[in-house]
Amino acid sequence: MTDANRLRVGFIGLGRMGQAMAARILGAGHDLVVFNRSADKATELVKGGAVLASNVKQACEGREIVITMVSDDAALREVTLGAGGVRESLGQGEIHLAMGTHAVAEIQKLASVHSDAKQILVAAPVLGRPDMAAIGQVSIVAGGPSQAVKKCDPLFQVIGKRTFQCGDRAEHASVTKLANNFMLGCAIGAMAEGFSLTRKFGVVPQVFYEVMTEGLFAAPAYKVYGKIMVDEAYDKVGFTAMLGLKDFSLIMAAAEAARVPLPSGNAFRDRLLSAIAHGDGTKDWAVVGREQARASGLE
Amino acid sequence: MRVGFIGLGRMGKGMAHRILSGRHDLAVYDVAQQATVEFAKEGAHIANSIEDLCKDREVVITMLAEDAHVQDVAFGRGGLCASLPAGAIHIASGTYGIATIRALEAAHAKAKQTLLAVPVLGRPDLAASGQLGLVPAGPQEAIDRCEPLLKLMGKRIFYAGTKPESASAIKLANNAVLGCAITAMGEGFSLVRKYGVEAKVLYEVLTEGLFGGAPAYVGYGKTMVNESYDKVGSPVTIGMKDSVLIAGAANIARVPMPSHDVYIQRLLGAIAHGDGDLDQAALAREQSRASGLE
Repeated sequence: MTDANRLRVGFIGLGRMGQAMAARILGAGHDLVVFNRSADKATELVKGGAVLASNVKQACEGREIVITMVSDDAALREVTLGAGGVRESLGQGEIHLAMGTHAVAEIQKLASVHSDAKQILVAAPVLGRPDMAAIGQVSIVAGGPSQAVKKCDPLFQVIGKRTFQCGDRAEHASVTKLANNFMLGCAIGAMAEGFSLTRKFGVVPQVFYEVMTEGLFAAPAYKVYGKIMVDEAYDKVGFTAMLGLKDFSLIMAAAEAARVPLPSGNAFRDRLLSAIAHGDGTKDWAVVGREQARASGLE
Repeated sequence: MRVGFIGLGRMGKGMAHRILSGRHDLAVYDVAQQATVEFAKEGAHIANSIEDLCKDREVVITMLAEDAHVQDVAFGRGGLCASLPAGAIHIASGTYGIATIRALEAAHAKAKQTLLAVPVLGRPDLAASGQLGLVPAGPQEAIDRCEPLLKLMGKRIFYAGTKPESASAIKLANNAVLGCAITAMGEGFSLVRKYGVEAKVLYEVLTEGLFGGAPAYVGYGKTMVNESYDKVGSPVTIGMKDSVLIAGAANIARVPMPSHDVYIQRLLGAIAHGDGDLDQAALAREQSRASGLE
């Protein structure tokens, strides 16, 4: 990589997703400084040539782009607005690239805070799991001022296989990511209803699964989550019911703020709540299939 | 085999041609005589009544749009129950309610006939080329006997079980999941539009990701993005008819279906706003109305 193409990047938040994404950036030859509260998560990256910062400030100074990949809104707020945080430490004209899944209102607020500090917020949440991130196969939904998004593009290209341009405001990306998760939740809820109905009429779940996934619903959402329901393999957790509830709270908040009634979302969220009430909060969120069966007198 | 076929609408026509292509002895009947003309040319016997059609038939297939039609054809004077020979099989291929299927099953049993429920998955073009999905359910021996006919009409056969109502339940549940998908997509599009994101962007995210390859999302999503609701595949009113059957099945089985309830309410709202004859994707417009977008 030529020096001209080499970006000075900071990376804050080295969970499973963050580690995989940072490794892709490092592998492409960019100048990378990393920070994580527990420094041991950075060991592999440091071996690979990344510089370990001892605080957020060090991860921001002299950086053109600082990526945050933190688990929730509270963590994002602290990293950004706290003493020595991104707002205080990032240079003027530089970019804060927020790649976690966050509330639309939070992203709107941070966009305005950064704008006041003459910095730019780009939101680019990721679609996919850590194993896909490790091989650059996730998708990215990006939103923010087009010049800034363009500057981040080389990073998107090494992290993901496809970037969707959602619009010129950071919140455009946040709401698109939430809408995608919303559709998945609703699909899980509807499938659960279909399985309970057919079971009550003596149908083996595998047969209904085949009808769906070889026909109108031949897509990963139905194949993956339908299979979990058929096998009742709720203990093999990809994404927990509790995390699903967290996402749906973000979705419903965004919908309320924009005055968009989401009746399908409400139905699914209530099933999730009941699943958690019955002690299934740490199971995969496909456990809504079991909750629906319970509600139908099948368990 | 000696086969009868009743109901030569867009779907039935294609299916009956497939039976003929297998060189079976076919008799056809439709209330609209015009629909039978093309079959006369191809050597089918054109029956002038259901009673006439039933003579010597081993199997009679019905492909009728509504529960009331199949009830008339089966239970009416000179209908299937009265006219089919003992031992003959009635293949009911439409999408019917559980109560109708149970009534047909009982009446045929009383007349020493057998009911198979074989709802189909697919559109008229797939019916014409024998590419439908079929969901047969009923006594195994009857299904075995009809296998050559099923293989002519469908390329994929999903065996649902030995009770005809199991097949109905599958077809109804599949339609329920579709209705919920359409409704949820409408909600997703309204949400992003309110924040200034073009519907097309969400469509691409969905169909190049978790929902890629699913005709339900690729097809209906496209119609929503283009707002081309007057290019009608399945109209809102047909969705309404099916959803009433689904709710009936849910009631019989005692299965609360909150997502499907949402779908029914959006269908009703769309019809109330005069969109009953539009494609079901128009539920997205109903959703945007509810969101203050129209």
